[in-house]
Amino acid sequence: MNDRTKNIVVTSVFVAFMAFFVAMCIFRYFAPVETSQAERRPLAQFPEDISWSGVLDKSLIEEFEDYSVDQFPFREFFRGIKANFQLNVLGLKENNGLAVQDGYIVKIEQDFVDKNVNYSLGRLQLFYEQFVKDNGGNHYLALIPDKNYFLAQDYGYPGPDYSGLTDKVTAALPNMQYINLYDSLELKDYYFTDTHWSQNKILGVVDKLAADMGIDHLLSGQYTENRLEGFQGVYYGQSALKPAPDTLVYLTNHVLDGCTVYDYETQKTGPIYALDKFDGSDGYDVFLSGTKSLLRIDNPASQSGKTLVVFRDSYGSSLTPLLAEAYDTVYLVDIRYISASALSLYEQMKMVDFEDADVLFLYSALILNSNSFK
Amino acid sequence: MLFSSIPFLYYFFAMVLLLYFVVPFKCKVFNVHFEAKNFILLIASLLFYFYGEPIYTLLMVGTILFNYIMGLLIDRFRGTVWSKVSLWSSVIVSLGSLGFFKYSDFFIRNINTLFNGSIPLLELALPIGISFYTFQILSYTIDVYRDKVKVQKSFIRLATYVALFPQLIAGPIVRYSTVEEDLTQRTHSFENFGCGVTRFVIGLSKKVLIADTLGGLSNMLRASNEQSVGMYWILAIALSLQLYFDFSGYSDMAIGIGRIFGFRFLENFNYPFISKSIAEFWRRWHMSLGTWFRDYVYIPLGGNRVSKWHWLFNILVVWFLTGFWHGADWTFIFWGLFFALFLVLEKFFLNKLFSSVPRAFSHIYVVVLILISFVLFSADGIGGALRDIGSMFGVGNLPLWSGETGYYLSSYAFVLIGAIIGATPLIKTFVLKIKKTRTGELIINTLEPIFVVVMLLIVTAYFVDGSFSPFLYFRF
Repeated sequence: MNDRTKNIVVTSVFVAFMAFFVAMCIFRYFAPVETSQAERRPLAQFPEDISWSGVLDKSLIEEFEDYSVDQFPFREFFRGIKANFQLNVLGLKENNGLAVQDGYIVKIEQDFVDKNVNYSLGRLQLFYEQFVKDNGGNHYLALIPDKNYFLAQDYGYPGPDYSGLTDKVTAALPNMQYINLYDSLELKDYYFTDTHWSQNKILGVVDKLAADMGIDHLLSGQYTENRLEGFQGVYYGQSALKPAPDTLVYLTNHVLDGCTVYDYETQKTGPIYALDKFDGSDGYDVFLSGTKSLLRIDNPASQSGKTLVVFRDSYGSSLTPLLAEAYDTVYLVDIRYISASALSLYEQMKMVDFEDADVLFLYSALILNSNSFK
Repeated sequence: MLFSSIPFLYYFFAMVLLLYFVVPFKCKVFNVHFEAKNFILLIASLLFYFYGEPIYTLLMVGTILFNYIMGLLIDRFRGTVWSKVSLWSSVIVSLGSLGFFKYSDFFIRNINTLFNGSIPLLELALPIGISFYTFQILSYTIDVYRDKVKVQKSFIRLATYVALFPQLIAGPIVRYSTVEEDLTQRTHSFENFGCGVTRFVIGLSKKVLIADTLGGLSNMLRASNEQSVGMYWILAIALSLQLYFDFSGYSDMAIGIGRIFGFRFLENFNYPFISKSIAEFWRRWHMSLGTWFRDYVYIPLGGNRVSKWHWLFNILVVWFLTGFWHGADWTFIFWGLFFALFLVLEKFFLNKLFSSVPRAFSHIYVVVLILISFVLFSADGIGGALRDIGSMFGVGNLPLWSGETGYYLSSYAFVLIGAIIGATPLIKTFVLKIKKTRTGELIINTLEPIFVVVMLLIVTAYFVDGSFSPFLYFRF
């Protein structure tokens, strides 16, 4: 091929390439996609409010740019190209902050955001002062490291200062007994494609908590493993790498089978494991039906006469059922979705009773580092 | 609008290409000859600017109109004092506009500091590309005054030249003399289109795949918890290569798009990192700016055909202005003067010194100075610059190395090595050497269209997945 022919070919190929994608963009204008399943977010739509003021303050242009990127044809295909090029061709260890180590997809963080952590601790202190301090029970505090803790420890990745975080948390809540879970966990205790831990891998964590909370004699430790294949965690789509899906394992025994979960929002009672949620947007919602502001687990088989209140995030959804064997009643409070005043109202209406209850603050570093508490 | 974005590539550029190649170069509308292709380019360029700067489009059009009239007056009154008055009007109004929008707050801030004053800042948004189009316009009016180019009587042609979207907002600074003929007659061919596309795609890839990736590395290094001396050297390398690939990538895109439309812009970069002296570096880096200052400031001041002290003064003025052109901050001024210092030292004794030692030493000297200069260029104020440069040499009791430094070096090693190789003529030389044989030419010419498509797919993937990342030179 001489230069002349080459230039004709380059011109033709470029024109054909552009024509194809322009045509696809036009098609997409008439058939926009509402949401991205992989990214678990709504996609930007063509700007509705086209006004002169929108042009002048550039908001219209920003909306159009969001639309043009979100609605570009073959979005997932292109995201896959980018992720593979970045990790496998350029040899970078991260793509969009996600690293892959031994098959585990991990969000890499350089450090915790002081402002967010301080805000979270401020909220925890508020709930402690209002609902825990004088309730007459034992008070415990535990932190759950993210997968990035193990990458920093064992694989040389950068990572946030977990010991500094622990110091901050224990200093903020000095009257709670701190239970160190770090040594009871390793990378393989978490899902490959999700941020959470796998319930069947955290029996060591349960043992540690039970021992420190003095309830170990009340737990049977005998469970049946039930497997749900094809669990696509939150990083499955975000990574755009099409990794092998996880297996979601949930543990049952005759005590857990007899437990019921009361949801204060819907005022409905259900089982601990909501299996119908597995095929929803987040398979992890199987555990206690996902994000819920206030739940109560009733354990008719318990004769301990004890109550547990767990202030928790989503990690607590899979762990708390394994502690429920030791208690008549377990309250689960997620302060991302319930305010102190709302919880106080439930208390005044005698719908919750924290009197003499053991209290466990169980939070992941991920949540403490976000700005998500009410 | 960014070249490295979906709205540009798949909406704006696609539409402009279609319209541009559909219309004839000239046509008759109501019995009037009409240069349709120039008109399409002008409207497209104004829309391109309007997309990013709705209000300031009026400023640009006003500036073009004013200088168009000044050009006519310079020519009309040639040989009289009014010609000079028109030229000075053009210079004062154009530079006044640039000074007002770009430097007002800098001067107010410094006056407030010096006299403990409290003059409120104007906080004007900087019109994108004002530094570039102002210098382009001045090249026109000054060259008309010098009788180096003919006055342009067609407003559409002059406006097309100034506002031409490929080089409007981030250069290169295209002289009017370079495109004077192209504005009236230019060739549209498969050769221009094919070569232009390849050049555009190369520039796009340099920007998106290398510059932006290195930008990510720079950000992470700055945010690192485990800073070290080694980390600051990696930062300096990353910043320097990022600036080079960002700016030269943009120039490649501008030259490529210009060529698609039949314009021949001059080169703006010529592998500056292989230079053996700072003087050579500036003959290879942002050549359109360097030659602009040479022809319109340095030589009119007397150049080097003056006394030693006068020459030193000329050098100081030119490099003060070069630094100041890059930004309204003392870091940029010191950046320019930093080069002035070494240009003077080279002239007086460094050139002699380096001529008697192996060439590797002069390369190392240039590279180290360039790395330091770009740390200064990218620093957050003079204090930040001193801290960053000091850290490169162990000031602040930093450890030599840290675990995080090792992590980032290993993660970005391939990109850094690729960027270093890409900043030299090795690849170009290799390709040209292969092309000398018949088989080699066949291989390279077969691979080129594949390269274009693959790179377009990859950069599109980065657009779809990536975040907003403006060109570094947009602030100028």
